[in-house]
Amino acid sequence: MALVYELVWRMLHVLLHIHRTLVTSLRVLLRNWNGQTWRRAVAALLTPASLAGFPDSQKKLVLEISKRARGRCSRPSGCLVEKLPVHVGLLIVEEQPSYTDIANLVVWCMAVGISYVSVYDNHGVFRKNDTLLLEKIVRQQDLLGLEDSKYNAEFLSNGNTVHQDQIVSGQPVVKVLSPEDGKQSIVEAARRFCRTVEQKEKTSKDIDVPMFDALLRESKNIPDPELVMKFGPVDSTLGFLPWHIRLTEFVSLPSHVDVSYEDFLVALQRYSTCEQRQGK
Amino acid sequence: MSWIREGELNLIERLSANVLKAGPVPKHVAFIMDGNRRFARKKHVDRQEGHSQGFNKLAETLRWCLQLDIPEVTVYAFSIENFNRSREEVDGLMELAKLKFLRLLDERDKLEKHGVCIRVLGDLTLLPLDLQQLIAKAVVATREHNRCFLNVCFAYTSRHEMANAVREMAWGVEQGLIKASDVSEALLSECLYSSNSPNPDLLIRTSGEVRLSDFLLWQTSHSCLVFQSVLWPEYSFWNLCDAVIQYQCNHASIMKARELHQDEQRRQQLEADHACVAELLHHHGNGKPADGPRRQEAVAEYGLRREARVKDFLEALRNKRDSFLTQLASQATVA
Repeated sequence: MALVYELVWRMLHVLLHIHRTLVTSLRVLLRNWNGQTWRRAVAALLTPASLAGFPDSQKKLVLEISKRARGRCSRPSGCLVEKLPVHVGLLIVEEQPSYTDIANLVVWCMAVGISYVSVYDNHGVFRKNDTLLLEKIVRQQDLLGLEDSKYNAEFLSNGNTVHQDQIVSGQPVVKVLSPEDGKQSIVEAARRFCRTVEQKEKTSKDIDVPMFDALLRESKNIPDPELVMKFGPVDSTLGFLPWHIRLTEFVSLPSHVDVSYEDFLVALQRYSTCEQRQGK
Repeated sequence: MSWIREGELNLIERLSANVLKAGPVPKHVAFIMDGNRRFARKKHVDRQEGHSQGFNKLAETLRWCLQLDIPEVTVYAFSIENFNRSREEVDGLMELAKLKFLRLLDERDKLEKHGVCIRVLGDLTLLPLDLQQLIAKAVVATREHNRCFLNVCFAYTSRHEMANAVREMAWGVEQGLIKASDVSEALLSECLYSSNSPNPDLLIRTSGEVRLSDFLLWQTSHSCLVFQSVLWPEYSFWNLCDAVIQYQCNHASIMKARELHQDEQRRQQLEADHACVAELLHHHGNGKPADGPRRQEAVAEYGLRREARVKDFLEALRNKRDSFLTQLASQATVA
């Protein structure tokens, strides 16, 4: 009997796998078809030269939206989304990272007026190759025509710190995170605190949630991410900032490869409809 | 309503359960039982009735978990943030908890028969004293049972738990049991309220919310997260099966990520030991750097000493926590 159950179980999972693959390929198929119609429509209107780099339709869309989002419009109906997160985490749980697509996502975030963007994967691939990612981001910014706006990515990784004046000036900050910034940084903060106890500067009674929070942040005033966009087939945070995701909303997208601006907007809209009750 | 729900699955449910059990089944499932109040509004019943129905659903879900061979369940019953709710609702919830823990003590025989161990995770000192004593009594009464485990997070938030773990480690430093350099990821995990449990394999949140709300943030960093739109009092056996199937789809990749994380943890521990030995040699040695094999030996030796320190500290911590509970429980008998 056990054999029969196992056989049925295997069949069930094969079916689920086929279902998932079908859905993904259908999505890609639809996108390609959509993309072609876009391109044809744009080609009819514009000179071919501008098409070489980046789909111009998207460029206009982003610029228009960034204007609207930055304008802090008074009528909610005129806004792209009613509630915009200040800090967005991009959590990649896929085997093959695509730097161009991540750079696109980062640039879109900045264009709609998000101040902090964190990029994370559990292998630390982006951290290892952060210069490559920075180059891509700058390139995509140029392609989108954002180079003359004051939206320059302040790039943070090992050793670099945010300066208070940058935060005040409203420049968007991009942070590349790896598992080290998660539990390991909590452990380090705990060790630092225990050292002060060892040296009799503090006692164990001194620690509470606000104090430990301050210790973890070390003078950096970065807010917790309100939204994490998770890309990939794994339903897990895989070590993404355990302390900071207390109230974070998770929105799942199937893949970051070839992710479109529409997908990005849908994720933002899903966030804006979420209601936070703060325990009430 | 009782904590233990006896009953059997029907034929189709039994067959499906057996099919699911042919694959990897989570050993520990955590629930955020959200949607009691929305359920009450939907059904036009009292808010308190919604909470009671939610509790009944918990008893039923525990039975399904056992039937699916899931031996451990953790539930989020009351968050520290919930103290911000209206006085009336908080009092109602405390009253409900008192009733349920009294009931639990009445059902001691049944719990023993099924081998159910009940633990309460959270800062008990935030609760009214009579409830604290009742909880302590219930926990002490079922402490020895070891077939299945129910962890109830009460007056709990994950940040509070992590900060508390840091406080415990600092206490260990004050007592001279450990050094600050002994603080590690593994040690912090052992100082959490959940130190007796493996990390959850699967976390389920009902009612369509897509956040963790300060629940087991540390423990679920490599767990499968499943968000379901059903309201908690309407949760069904099939919803649970659906979540287990999602866990099974994720199983391989999550295991791989966990292994990667464990390798990294081992590497960091070794690095820390190396650093400590280097510092010791610098202070006490004759200034000359030790050669390769001698150094390896010194690191291995240091590692053993550290493990011994940590073991003594954890033993002391366990005793401290046990005596806190035993004392509370004995006060309850006197009262």
